[in-house]
Amino acid sequence: MRMNAPVLSPEEIKRIHKDSIRILEEVGVKVPSEKALSILEAGGAKVDYDKQVAYITEAMVDAAFKAAPKEFLLGARNREHDLWLPTTRTVLNMDGCGSNVIDFNTGEKRLGTLQDLADVGKVFDAIPQAKVLWSCIHPEDTPNSRAAGVWATATSLINTCKHVQDEVQREDELPYIIEILKAVLGGTEEDVIERKIYSATYCTVAPLCHDKEMLEGTMALTKYKAPVLLYPMPACGSTGPASLYSNVALANAESLSSLVIYQLTTPGTPLIYGSALGRINLKTGAFLEGAVETELMMAAMVQMGKYYGLPTMAAGCLSDANSVGMQAAMEKVLTTVPLTHNDVDIIQGIGLIEGSMTLSLEQMIIDAEIFEHCMRMHQGIDVCDDKDYFEDIKAVAQGGHFLKQKSTRKAFRSDEFYNSKLIPGDTYDTWKAAGSKDMKDYAHEKVAAILAADPVCPLDANTEKLIREIMAEAAAKL
Amino acid sequence: MDIYELMKEAVLDGDEEEAVRLAEQALEEGLELQKVMDEGFLAGIQEAGQLYEDEEYFLPDLVCSADAMKCALEVLDEAMKNDPNAQKGAAAKVALVTVQGDVHDIGKTIVGAMMTASGFEVYDLGTDVLNEDVIAKVKEIDPDVLGLSALLTTTMEEQGNIIEMLKAEGLRDDVKVIIGGAPVNQAWADKITADGYSDNAIAAVKLAQEVLK
Repeated sequence: MRMNAPVLSPEEIKRIHKDSIRILEEVGVKVPSEKALSILEAGGAKVDYDKQVAYITEAMVDAAFKAAPKEFLLGARNREHDLWLPTTRTVLNMDGCGSNVIDFNTGEKRLGTLQDLADVGKVFDAIPQAKVLWSCIHPEDTPNSRAAGVWATATSLINTCKHVQDEVQREDELPYIIEILKAVLGGTEEDVIERKIYSATYCTVAPLCHDKEMLEGTMALTKYKAPVLLYPMPACGSTGPASLYSNVALANAESLSSLVIYQLTTPGTPLIYGSALGRINLKTGAFLEGAVETELMMAAMVQMGKYYGLPTMAAGCLSDANSVGMQAAMEKVLTTVPLTHNDVDIIQGIGLIEGSMTLSLEQMIIDAEIFEHCMRMHQGIDVCDDKDYFEDIKAVAQGGHFLKQKSTRKAFRSDEFYNSKLIPGDTYDTWKAAGSKDMKDYAHEKVAAILAADPVCPLDANTEKLIREIMAEAAAKL
Repeated sequence: MDIYELMKEAVLDGDEEEAVRLAEQALEEGLELQKVMDEGFLAGIQEAGQLYEDEEYFLPDLVCSADAMKCALEVLDEAMKNDPNAQKGAAAKVALVTVQGDVHDIGKTIVGAMMTASGFEVYDLGTDVLNEDVIAKVKEIDPDVLGLSALLTTTMEEQGNIIEMLKAEGLRDDVKVIIGGAPVNQAWADKITADGYSDNAIAAVKLAQEVLK
C-alpha cells in the first residue's frame, strides 16, 4: 500500500469546518473595501460598515462552494506543460515575495534582480516536476518600484514556458498584466480567459483581515476567470491562536471568506485552496517555516481542501536556514513528506531558504531531488501479482544472486527504485579522488550547465519586444 | 509583600489591572515616584528581561510584562512630569510604525515590547500610517529613534520615502532611523541611508542603543 500521512480524521475535518463557520458568523472578518462589503451584504452577510467587518453565514459558504469549479486548467505558454487541476501526481512551484539571492557565482547574499528572475525561469524549465512558477523575488532594479510587480510577472513569462503565478498587488497593475498575457498568447481577452497561463496568489492578513489593495486588484482579475490561490498565513502563537488545531480553523475561516468574496464577485472563479501557515520562534517571535508543526498544519489544510473538493497547493519544502546545508536539507525533507503523503496538487517553496526570503539556484535542483525521494516514499510498497517474484526466489534458491534475473533488470528501469542523480554513492576513495564533491557541488554544476545552454523554449523576439514595450509603459505610468 | 514588591510582581505577571490599581494607589498615598519606579515597576520589567535572557520567559511573557509596565506608566505619567525628583530613567524615546500600505502589526509590536522591557519610552504609531502622518508624529513626539517596519516587498520602498521626507523637512539629523521587516536587509538599509537594520527584536534593542551612542 501507499504510505500516507493524514493528520485529521473525517470527524476532525468536520469539526474544523464548523469551527471556521462559527468564526465567520460570530467573529466576522475585516474587509476594508466598500466594494467588497457591499457585495458581501448583497450576498447575505451582516455588515458593520463602521468597523468594516462582515459576518458571513454557512449558507453563503455553501453557495460559494457550489459555484467554485472543482477542475480547471493552469495553462502554459508551451501547451506541453499545461497542468490540469487536480493533478494525478504532485508538482512543484516556487514561493513568492522574497528579496535576496545567494549569488550563483560568488556565493554571497545580495538583493535580487531581474536577471535572477530570468535565471530562475531557465532553471525552472529544466526541472521536469516544476510546473507553476511564482516570481520568487522582488527585483530591486526595476526603474519604478510601483511597476516591480508587473515587471516580475513579465520577466517570468518571458523566461519560462510553464504556468506563471504571481500577485495583483494593486488594481492599477491589472491592465498591464492583461496586455502582457495577450502579447504572450498572441491573442485576445478571450484567449486569456481560455488559456489561463496566469494565476494570482491572494493572501489574507492574519488574523481575519483582508488587504484592500490586493483584494480589489484580485477581484478585478476574476473578470478574466484567472485562477486565484487562497493563501492564509496565520502564525501559531502570534497572528494565530497557539494550538495547531485552532490555527488551522482560523486559516480555514480566512480562506472561506475569500472564497465567498470571489464567488460573489464572479461566480465560477477557479480557486485553489492554498496554505502557508506557520508557528513562531518562542523567544523571538520569528515566523518559522521549517518547523515540524508548520507542516503538520499544512497537511491538515490539504485535507481540508480535499474535503471541499478544491485543488490544493501548500507551502512546503521549506527552511529557515540561512545557508544551503544541513539544516536546510533536514527541514526541507520534514516539510515535504507531509505534503507528498497527502497527495497535495502543488508544493510551493522549492529553491528558497531563510523563510522563503532568499533564492538559491542550486537549492532548486536539490529540492527537486528531495521531492522525488519523498514521492518514492509515498509510493510505498506495491504488493501485487506483478511484483510477486516467487519464481526468482525459486530459481536462485540458496546462495547466488538476483542480478541476472530478467525481472531485476526490468525493475531497475521501473519506478520500483528511484535512481538519484545528485547522490552518486561513490565509495570514500573514489569520492575523495573526484574532489570530495557534495550534493551542492553537483547541483552547482547542473545549474551552470543549464544557464550556459540555450533556452529550451524561447519566446520569439517580436513577442518579447512587445512585452518589453508594455513593461516600459507600466514603468512610466504606474 | 510591600507595595513595591506587589508592583514588581504585577509587571512580572503581566497583570495590567493590578499594575494600574497599584499605580493609582501610589498616587493616592503620595508615594515617592522615583521609588515606585526603581523598586516597583522598573524592577519588575528588569527582572522579566533577565528571565527572558535565562530562557525562562518566552516572548508572550515579555509582551505581557511590557504592557503591564506601560499601563502603570500611563497612570503615573502626569505626576511624573510634575515631579522634579522623578525621572523615567531619562529614557530615550522610540517611535515605531508600520509604513503606509502595510497592515502587518506583529513585528512592530514585538519590537515595542522588547524596547519597553529595555527601558525605552515607546510610542507605537500604528500600522498603515501615511508617510506625512509619520512626519507629523516625528515633529510632535521628537523621538530619538524612529523604527520603520515593512513586511512586504511592495511596501519596503516607503522606508526610503520616509527618510527622504525627513531630509526634506530638515528633521533627518534629529532622529536616528532604524528599519526592520522580513524583506529588508543591511544592503537595503545602506541603499536608503537608514542608520541601521536588525533582523529581530532583540537585535533591534541593541541597535537602538548603538545608534544613540
